[in-house]
Amino acid sequence: MGRRFIYLLMAAPVQVLLLAVIGMPAIYVLWLSLHKTAFGQVPEFVGLANYGFVLSDPYFWRAFVNTFVVVNIVVYVELGLAVLMATLFASGMPFRRLLISIVIAPYAVSEVIAVVIWKYMLEPDVGPVSAILASLGLPELAWTTDRWAAMTMVALLSIWLHLPFSFLILYSARIGLPKDLYESAATDGASAFDRFRYITVPLLMPAILVALMFRYVFAFRLFAEVWLLTGGGPARQTEVLATYLYRHAFRYQEFGVASAIGWLMVLATLLIASGYLRAMYKRMLTGDA
Amino acid sequence: MRDSLPTRILRPICFVLIAVWSGFPIFFLVMSSFKPPRDILAFPPRFFFTPTLDNYTALVTRWPEFFEALQSSLIVTIGATVLTVVATTLAGYVYSRVRSRLLAASAFLMIVIRMVPPIVITLPLFPVINYLRLSDTHIVLIVLYTTFFVSLNTWIMKAFIDQIPREIEEAAVIDGAGLMQILRYIILPLSAQGMIAASTFVFIFSWNEFLFAFIFTTTDAKTAPLVISEMVGAVDGVEWGVLFAAATVQLIPILVFVIAVQKYVIAGLTAGSLKG
Repeated sequence: MGRRFIYLLMAAPVQVLLLAVIGMPAIYVLWLSLHKTAFGQVPEFVGLANYGFVLSDPYFWRAFVNTFVVVNIVVYVELGLAVLMATLFASGMPFRRLLISIVIAPYAVSEVIAVVIWKYMLEPDVGPVSAILASLGLPELAWTTDRWAAMTMVALLSIWLHLPFSFLILYSARIGLPKDLYESAATDGASAFDRFRYITVPLLMPAILVALMFRYVFAFRLFAEVWLLTGGGPARQTEVLATYLYRHAFRYQEFGVASAIGWLMVLATLLIASGYLRAMYKRMLTGDA
Repeated sequence: MRDSLPTRILRPICFVLIAVWSGFPIFFLVMSSFKPPRDILAFPPRFFFTPTLDNYTALVTRWPEFFEALQSSLIVTIGATVLTVVATTLAGYVYSRVRSRLLAASAFLMIVIRMVPPIVITLPLFPVINYLRLSDTHIVLIVLYTTFFVSLNTWIMKAFIDQIPREIEEAAVIDGAGLMQILRYIILPLSAQGMIAASTFVFIFSWNEFLFAFIFTTTDAKTAPLVISEMVGAVDGVEWGVLFAAATVQLIPILVFVIAVQKYVIAGLTAGSLKG
């Protein structure tokens, strides 16, 4: 047996898993999306009818708008906070290990438990956040009845849950920046804001873009938070794309329609990641590795 | 350079705000799990109360399936972590040491495949898994969790193995070592840090995952997050205490783990996302 063959054998388990569990099923979903089918029913070719149905369904567009708004708010608020926190933490801090431990703590929390926590914190007449809002004379967040209040809650929860990921990427990139750059800028009289604006932001940009892309891709999958908080209700007001897909697949048994939504999600994800993928392609297949 | 007065006042405030934002919700959950029901529903919330284990006793007597689910979670988490580490260490070694167009193309494909949203593949997998009679088994979850992390983790392992000097291997080859011996005596010990970094991600994910557990398990293989989600649905105003107790039991081990391995998490994220 040649060395090369053994190498291929070593890389095989990873490739087989990816192709069998994600790659081939994804292709099959494309095929399914062109058929009308339910559980135990022979698929019948319908062309692009499923796509037509989805794209003309007002519930789809509502789910799309909800997803679009939440994802953008989550990603940009999170990244903004992460950049500011990385800058603050890099300028030295007391109790470093303790503070970082506290900041990354939400990374350990399951979506399910995050929902439990935030649901309770914002529970009318019970939760501490409701108490604070009440003491400030503000109305409580009516997330059980109001569409945008519910989406605000979902966004809040997602930001809380995923801020550690963005923070860690940017913090490790920030402490990797050369110190003397900041020192010479300071001796030249650059203010803290100037240093942030003209050194930190441009030099962190590659890390910011990578974090941005990953957060977009992951935030776009948003399911558990919405499903467990509102189930998409009331009256399908708070659906996002993943819960819309789930409803059509596992409630209505419309696998063809669900597959069309699925492929639209795949395409949207590839679009979001296209810049990153192009850069990867260049580096891996045309440039030096 | 000296900080100006406003900066000296603002900075500590920022640190406190950040700590409260990140830590308070968790602290409040754990604290509330020791509250008697009366104090859980007290408004405004109480911070001083007589701690009690009643909620935990109620959890043990009323939700025995929660502890079965914890067992499931442990099996699935360990299974997925071991499988991921073995598969990605082998692949990481190949991607680090061998250059070929086929491998480069497959590496790129790995990144593309990683973009597919998990919920999309549940559609075709659902009937297949039923057909294979694998529905509601630990194996399904182990394979799914592993698959969603082999891409990132191969990358992390490659980055760590890249740092092991080839000269060590070349010297070993001259001494007559075969591939198995190189892997066993050189790569394995020297990439141990990478293995820890890589395994933390899949470990945390598997312990906490909801979507796949929700779709592919019904009774026997239910994991802890799934049972907790059912408890949320069962809450009728009096059950918060039991729910907090269950959430605390699920959360504390993984929280301690994350804090203990934080330097590996940082190293892994850097290797997996930036050097990629």
